[in-house]
Amino acid sequence: MHHTRFCFVLLSLCSIWSAGCGNSSSSSAPTTATGEKKIRICMLPKIKGISYFSSCYEGAKRAAAELPNVELIYDGPIDGDPKKQAEMIERWIVDKVDVICVAPSAPDVVANAMKDARAAGIHVITWDADGAVDSRQLFINQATPASIGKGMVAVMVDNVGGPDVTGDVVIVSSDPTSANQNAWIDVMKPALEATKLKLVTIKYPGENASNALADAQDVIKKYPNLKGIFGISSVSFPGAAEAVEQSGKGGQIMVTGLSTPTPMKRFIDSGTVKSIVLWNTLDLGYLTVRVAEGLATGKLKPSDSECDAGSLGSKPIVDGHVLLGDILVFTKDNIDQYNF
Amino acid sequence: MFNWWQTLGRRERSLFVLIILAAVLVTSIDRGFLSTTNLRDILVRGAPIAIVACGVMLVVVSGEIDISVGSLMALLAAVMGLSLSRDHAAWSSGLGLPLILGLGTLAGWATGVLVTVGRVPSIMVTLGLLTALRGLTTIIMRGGNIQNLPDGLTRWTKQGLFGLPLSIWTAGVVLAVTAWIIHRTALGRRIYAVGSSRQSAAMAGLSEGRLKRFVFAYTGFLTALATIVDVPRLPQIEAGIGNELELLVVTCVVVGGVSISGGRGSLTGVVLAIVLMTLIRPMLTFMAVGESGEKWTKAIQGLLILAAVVADHAFAAHSRREPT
Repeated sequence: MHHTRFCFVLLSLCSIWSAGCGNSSSSSAPTTATGEKKIRICMLPKIKGISYFSSCYEGAKRAAAELPNVELIYDGPIDGDPKKQAEMIERWIVDKVDVICVAPSAPDVVANAMKDARAAGIHVITWDADGAVDSRQLFINQATPASIGKGMVAVMVDNVGGPDVTGDVVIVSSDPTSANQNAWIDVMKPALEATKLKLVTIKYPGENASNALADAQDVIKKYPNLKGIFGISSVSFPGAAEAVEQSGKGGQIMVTGLSTPTPMKRFIDSGTVKSIVLWNTLDLGYLTVRVAEGLATGKLKPSDSECDAGSLGSKPIVDGHVLLGDILVFTKDNIDQYNF
Repeated sequence: MFNWWQTLGRRERSLFVLIILAAVLVTSIDRGFLSTTNLRDILVRGAPIAIVACGVMLVVVSGEIDISVGSLMALLAAVMGLSLSRDHAAWSSGLGLPLILGLGTLAGWATGVLVTVGRVPSIMVTLGLLTALRGLTTIIMRGGNIQNLPDGLTRWTKQGLFGLPLSIWTAGVVLAVTAWIIHRTALGRRIYAVGSSRQSAAMAGLSEGRLKRFVFAYTGFLTALATIVDVPRLPQIEAGIGNELELLVVTCVVVGGVSISGGRGSLTGVVLAIVLMTLIRPMLTFMAVGESGEKWTKAIQGLLILAAVVADHAFAAHSRREPT
């Protein structure tokens, strides 16, 4: 009796849990209207539920809507835990999907799961952040770290009032292991050395809004000559802007970074933020699904030098990187044209 | 002063000494650490942890554990955003806030029912909820984030009332009420009694189930309260809110000297542990440990936890073991 009750509760918990973890896709493959098997493309963001990845998903859905032979499955960890990413890839291998598109939070943690998928005959590509080179076929590169890093420094120099202005700047990153952020930092350091701005420290609040706000508040108190803060994750950028606003230093301490436009619009309106650096996230999701479909149908080979990207035209492929293009800077003049 | 020191247990003393040492160390490097702005910021960051910890501490004292508070905070923050934000339902706070408090209490009570009536170990129930509530939050937020909470709420949580943010006042009241429950009520004594020995508590005629449902419901209520007074000061509500809060709270409860097997623990110890844990981030900034040092934040947190526990034994050598 005791045991049955225990099992019942455990079962109901499990069902809640699986319901809470998105759709566990059935292993019977759906078909198109003409009866042929649909190509199942799984998109795995670093974190599910933040606006950045949600806007990539919007673009991915647009590509899936244009391609009748594609079924798009979008799921990812809610806390950015790379171990959960690996578990999801393993689950999709069991489901025998056709393509897995990974945005790895920590490349080495998911590398084995990605190799298992390759061994099982599943196409694997990375997007947003690259993984271990031998674990994927292609990387959808939204913008090179060089263009992003240099872009942010150029924007900051412009925001503080030009190349003759001296002062301190701080970078508020994500986790110390975030591959993207680290690649940008490696570019930003030498770029800042060529300016009159001095990089005094780098903070790592992780993907935690309270910590990001706290770190930005602390550097504002610590460095009286602070001219600017780079918030280089979707959590640390609003956190830094909020800290500057709450300290009453809006306009004196400039904040720039990477974000989708909508969450930062309030800070553009108040003048705390003058420029937001990004690439076109909708196009990134769109291109990912286009490349995935190309690989699955055999229209595209990883060794090709360019690929057909539907409404984006043709995109070059260099050293296994499909290049999306340049950065996009949002300011008060153009921000109203974008709504993600 | 000396009398007050006498009332402290060993763990509280070691934590107190660690806090003083840390503060002296940082202040010797940068006097700005003791500025009123910085002390206020530290209080604001510690307040929500203190509010939630008052509940989790009683859960642990009763012999159970709750690791779902971070996810519950995210869910309640999402409901708060969807009901109050000007971009969404735009309800009045008078309607929305009692709803959040009720929802939090109900969630906590339901957890208690699963534990006491369903007889599932609380670590498993709350581990399941940790994931399930996060998932539910993602679903109802539809991948967006929420801004534009009512002006009054954001003003009270950012600038505050009578010079201090709402969260600090709330934490003060919650700590006072919790201390009163522990020291002055039969309820408090019974929670400790159930935690220290289920058999003797049962023989004394105490209802274990009712007491445990109360501590879980109290934790749910306090999590809702912490959500209301802390979340509006953040730039936006997103699905990742409350990330790792449960870890931080359980850490503070255990480092504060609450026995993980139940029956023993002091609120003072928990508060001291929260102060110590909240000091770490600003300490690193004010000490200008530099870029490589920043990467050590988590390691330093771990070392401090170990130091607090090890310091216990150092004190033990100097003082006779107090009766437990």
